[in-house]
Amino acid sequence: MKLHFLLFLAVTVSVPAVRAEQPILFPHSTHINKVHLKCIDCHISADTRDAATIPGIRKCMLCHAKVATDKPEIKKLAAIAASGREIPWQRVYGFEKAAAVKFRHGPHARHKVPCATCHGDMPNAITAQPLVKHNMGTCITCHRQNNASDDCATCHY
Amino acid sequence: MPTGKETHTDQAKPHRWGMVVDLDRCTGCEACVVACHAENNIAVSNPEEAARGRVNHWLRVDRYYEGQFPDVKVKYRPVLCQHCDEAPCEPVCPVNATYHNPEGLNVQVYNRCVGTFYCANNCPYTVRSFNWFDPQWPEPMQLQHNPDVSLRPGGVMEKCTFCIQRIKRVEESADAGSRPVADGEVQPACVQSCPAEAMVFGDLNDPDSKVSRLAGDGRATKLMEELGTKPKVVYLDRAR
Repeated sequence: MKLHFLLFLAVTVSVPAVRAEQPILFPHSTHINKVHLKCIDCHISADTRDAATIPGIRKCMLCHAKVATDKPEIKKLAAIAASGREIPWQRVYGFEKAAAVKFRHGPHARHKVPCATCHGDMPNAITAQPLVKHNMGTCITCHRQNNASDDCATCHY
Repeated sequence: MPTGKETHTDQAKPHRWGMVVDLDRCTGCEACVVACHAENNIAVSNPEEAARGRVNHWLRVDRYYEGQFPDVKVKYRPVLCQHCDEAPCEPVCPVNATYHNPEGLNVQVYNRCVGTFYCANNCPYTVRSFNWFDPQWPEPMQLQHNPDVSLRPGGVMEKCTFCIQRIKRVEESADAGSRPVADGEVQPACVQSCPAEAMVFGDLNDPDSKVSRLAGDGRATKLMEELGTKPKVVYLDRAR
């Protein structure tokens, strides 16, 4: 009963947005905690460019051509790779067009904003889910706390 | 609401962006107009709507004819948002969609705009354009949208931003290299495309910048300065 209550809390509190059904049960936790990969090992331009980018399937297959090939999720991955297609990941973050927001990862990384500030506790998460709500309140609060500009034209243009 | 707080680039003095247009050099080729449309995803009108005054231009080239045919002289003047320090468009906006940012830009926040049209009515330079409909482009121009600039939906006012997306890019790369923004590093699309180099853009707060030096030229005038709008676009009058 207690466990159920905790599970209920965990689901309702930490996942404010709709859960995304990802095509492969990619465990961020395993890759970060056991394999000791850093975020930018796969999201390679998160520290320098506009978009963090999602790695292509060839990146996955660099290891998984040999590693853990007997696991069902890796078999799924290998099947997609063999078909020559990319994994149809569901996008979990992003601003709607009407918001007219221009977000860039680079400046945030340069000013040492930890990935977890906007992306939540990914080291203990399985698939990509919107763990942190990205709305103007979230952005403005952080900008004000860190003495960053809160001029509208910093993001909206 | 913006508090007038400076950006985090730790600069002692904020930038104050301005432009100088040398009318002696302008040949009226309108390359600036084309570049502006391409850079800023400005919608393309059609002849029917254009006849009703529903055209979108952030920059236009005014023509003044002098003399009688065949001795006609044409004078050209590129007119864009003057980014007035005392902008008449700003106090009339009921939703604060247009305001002055710390770098002296007259900014339009598209998602805040409710389309009252007050700003355009109050602009003496008539440089604001309204999206009467959702924007359209003749094929295949919709494929060349600039991802750095938002697409404005119908019902929203828009205007020249001094290519704020380019200013941001340069400021970010200067910030990454821990160096100040160099003079002439920021080039709005119109400035970059002008074959006669009639337009110069830069920081008016830097007394050594090219734009500051030219703004102090004896030929310098401002458009409708008598209205007290304090424009940041300076025109260098024709010498002859």
